[in-house]
Amino acid sequence: MAEESAGTPKGVQRDAISTRLPQVFLPRANLFYRAFLLAIPFGALVGGYTWYRLCRSPDITEVRMPIGQPVMFSHRHHVGDLKIDCRYCHTSAEKSSFAGVPSTQICMSCHSQLFTDSPLLEPVRESAAAGRPIAWNRVHNLPDYVYFNHSIHVNKGVGCTTCHGAVNEMPLMMKTQTLFMEWCLQCHRDPARTQRPDSEIYSVSWEPGPKQGETGAALALKHHLDSEHLTNCSVCHR
Amino acid sequence: MKPPHRYSGANAAGGLRHWRSLDELSDTPEFRQWLEREFPENASDWLDAERDGLGRRRFLSLMGASLALAGFAGCSLRSREKIVPYVAQPEEIVPGRPLYYATAMPLRGYGRGIIVETQMGRPVKIEGNPAHPDSLGATDAVMQAAVLELWNPDRSQTPMFQGGISDWGQFESELLAVMAKMSAADGEGMAILTEASTSPTLQRQRAAWLAKFPKARWYWGGGGSPIPKLPPAGADFGKADLIVSIGCDIFADQPGSLRFTRQFAKRRRVENGRVNPNRLYVLESTPTITGSMADHRLAAPPDRIAAVLRWANGRGDEVLDPAEQTFARNLAADLAAHRANSIVIAGETEPDQIRSLAESMGAGKNSQSLPEDELATLCGDLAGGHVQNLFILGGNPAYNSPAALGFADHLRKATFTVHLGHYYDETSRQCRWHLPQTHFLEEWSDILASGGTPTIIQPVIDPLYAGKSIHEVLSLLTGTFRPSGYDIVRATWGASGKGDFGTFWDQSVHDGIVAGAPPAAAPGARAAGDAVATPAPSGAPAIPPPALTPGADYLLIRPDPAVGDGRWADNGWLQEMPKPMTKLTWDNAAILSPAMARRHGLGTGDMIDLHAGGRSVRAPVMVLPGQADRCVTVHLGYGRTVAGKVGSNRGFSAYPLQDAHSPWCLAGLEIRKAEGTYELATTQHHFSMEGRDIVRVAGVDEFRANPEFAAPKLPHPPSLLPAAPPLHHHATYAWGLTVDLSTCTGCAACVIACQAENNIPYVGKEQVAAGREMHWIRIDRYFEGAPENPAMLNQPVLCMHCENAPCEVVCPVAATVHNDEGLNTMIYNRCVGTRYCSNNCPYKVRRFNFLEYSPPPDSAEAQGENPNVTVRRRGVMEKCTYCVQRINLSRIAAELDNRRIRDGEIQTACQQACPAEAIVFGNLLDPGSRVSRRKKEPVNYGLLTELNTRPRTTYLARIRNPFSTKESA
Repeated sequence: MAEESAGTPKGVQRDAISTRLPQVFLPRANLFYRAFLLAIPFGALVGGYTWYRLCRSPDITEVRMPIGQPVMFSHRHHVGDLKIDCRYCHTSAEKSSFAGVPSTQICMSCHSQLFTDSPLLEPVRESAAAGRPIAWNRVHNLPDYVYFNHSIHVNKGVGCTTCHGAVNEMPLMMKTQTLFMEWCLQCHRDPARTQRPDSEIYSVSWEPGPKQGETGAALALKHHLDSEHLTNCSVCHR
Repeated sequence: MKPPHRYSGANAAGGLRHWRSLDELSDTPEFRQWLEREFPENASDWLDAERDGLGRRRFLSLMGASLALAGFAGCSLRSREKIVPYVAQPEEIVPGRPLYYATAMPLRGYGRGIIVETQMGRPVKIEGNPAHPDSLGATDAVMQAAVLELWNPDRSQTPMFQGGISDWGQFESELLAVMAKMSAADGEGMAILTEASTSPTLQRQRAAWLAKFPKARWYWGGGGSPIPKLPPAGADFGKADLIVSIGCDIFADQPGSLRFTRQFAKRRRVENGRVNPNRLYVLESTPTITGSMADHRLAAPPDRIAAVLRWANGRGDEVLDPAEQTFARNLAADLAAHRANSIVIAGETEPDQIRSLAESMGAGKNSQSLPEDELATLCGDLAGGHVQNLFILGGNPAYNSPAALGFADHLRKATFTVHLGHYYDETSRQCRWHLPQTHFLEEWSDILASGGTPTIIQPVIDPLYAGKSIHEVLSLLTGTFRPSGYDIVRATWGASGKGDFGTFWDQSVHDGIVAGAPPAAAPGARAAGDAVATPAPSGAPAIPPPALTPGADYLLIRPDPAVGDGRWADNGWLQEMPKPMTKLTWDNAAILSPAMARRHGLGTGDMIDLHAGGRSVRAPVMVLPGQADRCVTVHLGYGRTVAGKVGSNRGFSAYPLQDAHSPWCLAGLEIRKAEGTYELATTQHHFSMEGRDIVRVAGVDEFRANPEFAAPKLPHPPSLLPAAPPLHHHATYAWGLTVDLSTCTGCAACVIACQAENNIPYVGKEQVAAGREMHWIRIDRYFEGAPENPAMLNQPVLCMHCENAPCEVVCPVAATVHNDEGLNTMIYNRCVGTRYCSNNCPYKVRRFNFLEYSPPPDSAEAQGENPNVTVRRRGVMEKCTYCVQRINLSRIAAELDNRRIRDGEIQTACQQACPAEAIVFGNLLDPGSRVSRRKKEPVNYGLLTELNTRPRTTYLARIRNPFSTKESA
């Protein structure tokens, strides 16, 4: 390599070559080049911001985007109008990681008597008759490397609506929170802000009061909540 | 391919006290390479590049193309996940919570009690049943690996007729015609071959079948392992002051091994600074884990074993060499002193002469409750034309029987042959019909423990495929069609005349043991003695056992420590488990002693031809210190031709060498060097820690004189790490773990338990050879002393969870960090795969996913994964987590009850499996916890503490109890 680059082509005069070279760049070329250089940081900023906004847009997060279901089940009707307790259908919320989606049998415990000819309920009756389960569309989906446990949250002062929103106002279920880790950490860093009395866990009307700072802190203490422990990676990732 | 390692004999005397291999002892360049690199050379290269035609250029162009197309991949929407609830939810199922069922695993005819964890109906983990006398809550590697066996997609899924797919209906219609003929002929010419078992239901069905067909024949046999011989009832390896094992792998190979290990460990554990150990003499020809636990071990060929025993018995005028003489003199003195409280036990594989010598040494006669193998008789009867309709129920005798018997050839003489088996295997292919057999986790059955305690085997999942159990097929053969295994097993126990049968049944199934004696139909003592119509053997006349020719070369044949007689060949966990003494994976080898290898000019990896009894087999050599001179050991279970995707065509089959009359030991072996070399994937050099003072051991006298020998109070050299890291004083728990080297036998149950619990994939032989095995816990095997007759030590090494963790400071993305309870946690979703952490770990306990090793999510194997542990993808580092998922689940359970986690509530997977209770885990902030008390023992020491890493995992030094002349005086 070194030998080749050191020598010049034999029999050709260097000066002769340089004088014969044509002008390829127009005088304006420098301007384009400077503009392009300026555009790089600007583009990076715009691109970064677009990416940031895109990741947080409802198209990606699905926040407040109702999800269609095989049965047009309305939480507004069942929770808001009829005031059925969450645990009537989500039976394992208090004792398991998974809150539980009701079996067809739970639907049929009422609907074998009520609205027995409603076309909306045809998939439920079909499921009960054929013994074929209903495949619901998952609305709240965490990545597989996150291990969320319902039981420890509802037993330690975190109510359903804190994460799931006012389900009593939702005709079709939708997310109200992004479920991003930064959102989880808001409470894990400061559990007091959402702590509610044990009696209010399943209430859909509970709102933090003006003295939430004090009452929440007292409840967090009672529930043995320690933000230093709760912000360990291994609490949710294993 | 690497050149074969040759042992030069250099440096053998000086230098290291403990060494892991001959290469380390003589410090060969190959060893330096393994030592000095974090991963071996080219570990990060694409191994199959040449084979796939995927060179660097092609790789780059493909990468470029995939990068360009990656943008399009981002455009696709994620498919929406479904939640599919039950139609009618079973009462006991809470989604997200496991259910546990007690049952038993049949092993060599006896049952080991287990508790199976199921997640939403899927069996995912096996633990021992604490109430079962042969388990006591512990498991071994094979029991742990049974889950993978269940989910193995290679299992037989449908009946096969002459090589084509068929179904049960067609089989039944052909069977009807045969049975009609047989009924008329009283069963003349019909026979059943099945592996010996203590199952009471099997005995009952056998009697019923023989009563219905009085002229039919029933043969027990067809397994490749020796029939277990049980030590006298009441033998307690913890209470005996003297234990003499003559070629008997007490801690690995016996139906009662787990119990024996537990008993022995109790006596060897240092507690409150004191220990009163018994003494274990091991006289063996090939290294076993029992030999590694010995206080005195002598490696000797069978003729010398007999000579030493005769000498020790005071009957011999033998000339012994100095090592033999020391051993024999100590043994004789100890026997004289402790004969009343001693156990002398000889292995099933030892020649009869040695067994009878052992019995004359005051050993109670070992009993055998299973019938002798009758395969040779069956071969004779097939040859004589006495059997036309043969049903082979379970087993794989066309593969796992001595080739000299010629079973596969004899089988062709029968006209109607049926094989019931778990796989469409070598035997199935020789039979007219193959029927799929259910796994023991899918069927109803029953079985006895070695002491006679019965267990009812209950299914924990419906059969995944069209399998039927042996009981259901036997029921078909007695004329009951569409039988249910449940009714068959209940009928056996219903006849036992228990008061309220419903309660009795529910209680027995729930507990996993049946209170009281087995039903009358069960084989109390011998199962073959009560033969209804089995005619006298028509085979060859009895041949006297071959003499123990002095000075001859011996061929020793043993079942493989991992894959047994070949029945677990298709199990990736067992294939990849480094075998306890050889550390070999995915292969078997002809094991030679260093002296014998030197005599023949052989090194590990050379090929040789083994000639014995007029038969010959080609095998790769493995030179193993501790192997007796003049002995070549080969393990069975390899050389399968149709085992499945994992097990086929691995290693060589030793069955062609096996003699029908003396299957385990043959004198007059000749070895000849053959062409070529062979790469054996051993893990013995992997993750080595450079001859530092890692494993510590002392005699009991030295320990009593200086209890703190293992952890001398020395000033530490300066360290870059802080003196004491900030402790989280507000934390309630500080997790720690101890490993007791005095009791650890190196059985590798923990390795497989960890693999099952933590979704650790197996990687294959080529990947292991490149140092990419993924086990989170490895068992280092050390030799001590001269290579000819070394003592052996085992040391499990897992993540130390250092308080000053060197891995954490080098991670650029904080993917490995401490939590407030002292765990060094690994955050997979942050890891970008720099491998700096692994490079900086002095203990070499981190493992990297060089490729996508885990099974695809929709595969059958993925159904057996633990849902509480992340499945790691390619490019991610991983390591022991102290089973953080178990910690978290226990914490949640405790917090729901508003209490603290109790001591012993959390057991790590390795701890739970350990039969020796060598691993203790718990809270260091609780001074009363078991782990805190273990850490206060004087023999407690940490590895490489001079680096000031402050490991949370510590070790209790090994205490040996060698014979001292003071005692005899």
